[in-house]
Amino acid sequence: MKDRKDDQTVSARRDFLKLSTLGVAAAGAAAAIAPVKPAEAAEPEGTGYRETAHVRTYYETARF
Amino acid sequence: MSANAGSLKQHEATAAEEDLLRAGVYDVLASVFRREPDAGFLSDLQRLQGDDTPIGQAFAALAARAGSIDPTAARHEYGDLFIGLGRGELVPYGSYYLTGFLNEKPLAVLRDDMARLGIVRQEGVAEPEDHIASLCEMMAGLIRGRFLEPAPVKLQRAFFERHLAPWAGHFFSDVEAAKSADLYRPAGTIGRLFMEIETAAFAMEE
Repeated sequence: MKDRKDDQTVSARRDFLKLSTLGVAAAGAAAAIAPVKPAEAAEPEGTGYRETAHVRTYYETARF
Repeated sequence: MSANAGSLKQHEATAAEEDLLRAGVYDVLASVFRREPDAGFLSDLQRLQGDDTPIGQAFAALAARAGSIDPTAARHEYGDLFIGLGRGELVPYGSYYLTGFLNEKPLAVLRDDMARLGIVRQEGVAEPEDHIASLCEMMAGLIRGRFLEPAPVKLQRAFFERHLAPWAGHFFSDVEAAKSADLYRPAGTIGRLFMEIETAAFAMEE
């Protein structure tokens, strides 16, 4: 269970990221990015990488 | 295994706003550096916008250049920068940046991590996995949990610190400074600034 310090840390990181990248999104770039992405992700031969099933198990251990 | 579209949509809907932004920036970088641009991609890029923050300005600059450059010139620029005769002005592979050679140990370490993460290449992709576009694609996939749940920040950070942080900032700076760069100059700026943002944000996790 998280203590309050953890929550504050997570929140600081999230706030920082919002401030840092909102310059891109605020003006609508996030919406513009979307059409670029599916073209890559949707076509099976276009995108190089996909994840397989055992990634779930890996996430649970979460260490390199 | 690929999950169905429904669960992907669910994850997209529940992912935090800033994570979708991060994944979006990685997607743009992956798309830009993956292959030579065609007219359709240049027209996609023209829709990018940004505010007056440094990274926002770089997005706006990329959109503007995508709108003014001749598609043939854009294709040639990509070739001069990253392909060349023998090699381009820059070599966008982690192994090359870290060791001076392609296919060295950093690639082996990446392949090992990919195997453990369950990330596999589509058949028919021949280029080494440590291409900058591939690494950006993998980061976006980890953040989005493209087929399963999003990877924890701790895992994203470990992947970033091992495979991008040691060289990606240098690479993007080199793109900004490259003789042949015009369209790609603001893309280099976006990459450099975004690597700084990611580094600073991950450091807040401590």
